[in-house]
Amino acid sequence: MSDPQSTHSNDTSTTHFGFKQVEKNQKASLVAEVFDSVAAKYDVMNDLMSMGVHRLWKRYTIDCAGVRPGNQVLDIAGGTGDLTAKFSRLVGSTGKVTLADINLSMLKVGRDKLRDRGLVGNIDYVQADAEALPFPDNTFDVVTMAFGLRNVTEKQNALDSVYRVLKPGGRLLVLEFSKPTSEQLSKLYDMYSFHILPKMGQLVANDAESYQYLAESIRMHPDQDTLKGMFEKAGFDQCDYQNLTGGIVALHRGFKF
Amino acid sequence: MPSSALFSAAIEQAINRLLSLDSDSKARLSRLNGMRLYLFIDPLPNAICLVFSTQVDVLTEYDDHSDVVAKLDDKSCCIQTRVSTLPSLKDTNQLTRLIQQGELTVDGALSVAQQVSGLFQHLDIDIEEIIATNTTDVFAHSLVSAAKTLSEKARTGSEMVSRVLGNALVEEKQLAAHRLAVMHFSDNVNALRDDTARLEARLNHLESTRSKS
Repeated sequence: MSDPQSTHSNDTSTTHFGFKQVEKNQKASLVAEVFDSVAAKYDVMNDLMSMGVHRLWKRYTIDCAGVRPGNQVLDIAGGTGDLTAKFSRLVGSTGKVTLADINLSMLKVGRDKLRDRGLVGNIDYVQADAEALPFPDNTFDVVTMAFGLRNVTEKQNALDSVYRVLKPGGRLLVLEFSKPTSEQLSKLYDMYSFHILPKMGQLVANDAESYQYLAESIRMHPDQDTLKGMFEKAGFDQCDYQNLTGGIVALHRGFKF
Repeated sequence: MPSSALFSAAIEQAINRLLSLDSDSKARLSRLNGMRLYLFIDPLPNAICLVFSTQVDVLTEYDDHSDVVAKLDDKSCCIQTRVSTLPSLKDTNQLTRLIQQGELTVDGALSVAQQVSGLFQHLDIDIEEIIATNTTDVFAHSLVSAAKTLSEKARTGSEMVSRVLGNALVEEKQLAAHRLAVMHFSDNVNALRDDTARLEARLNHLESTRSKS
């Protein structure tokens, strides 16, 4: 199965990296460079870029996750552990949360942050590729992926992999930037992300390029209905999505029965 | 963006801030570790769920009351009530009456609700000490004393205004009836109601006697 965003030309498999076309085997390392660069300022930049609204998007995701005491939760691309922190308290001592991220820098920032908050005991940290999750079949009750799927080279492989590790009855929630539902908002959003965002990145994180990539990668990410179709292709049932903030972000949900 | 997330975030922030002001609340909170309290408060559109651990996490609950009740275990409790009933919940003696009147529904482990009530009722917040940590003891003491004096003056002032206004309306301008007059009028209405009821009963009796003969 292949990512609908990737292309094949002259027998060379390529995919997008922002607006650029790169070889598929290069994308992971290019994305890694971006996140190595922004890891230290990731939380500050998220607050600044979204004016704090990303916290509400994540909170809504947690509300929809339906996590219960004793659950096994996998937070893929968990980065600095925003979702994991809350899940850790919700599953309690009888449950477990696994924070997985392909990027070691992000994982270290997340681990340090959570340990500083006293969240230890029921959290595992795993450096893992979402396309080939290193867990047995039917392991997790809930899998979440917040702002991570668009950086994966083969998105369909990642969804297949999540489907495999979910227990029957389990659910996947993907929170990701998407397509604004109104024309006006879309224009405003374009202006913000291509003109203001890179400048903010330059000022705060001294890295305009990474934030230029962020804006470009959002535009290259599948829209709401395409992603829903990819969920269904992976085998998920009762797939739906909820647009948040006019479709700037969408929360997709699917169940494995 | 769901406004419910903003609402639950604000409640969570407020609760945890409040608890942090009383150092003894940690011990009470630890006794609630792992417990959940679901609150369906009419007319709020969604229920909220308080999850207790080292802090209180507030989640928005999108399931119906019956679905929530179905998944309750021995560490969770569900309360359904109205906003207007909330102040009455402080008085535990009122709970039975509220349940009988259908103003309050409690499902699951009642002990969870009792412990949550205790968590907040036993809050002992020393405002003077909190202000002193950011300023000085003298300033904090002066400020709190001034606030207490002001509050006392406002209370006595309000009582006086209410008394003067009452006198003016009842005695001087005679725009409102005196309390005793209202009571007397109410007594008369009650007596009239009783007389009417007696008359009605008598008429019914006469009517039934007549129809028999």
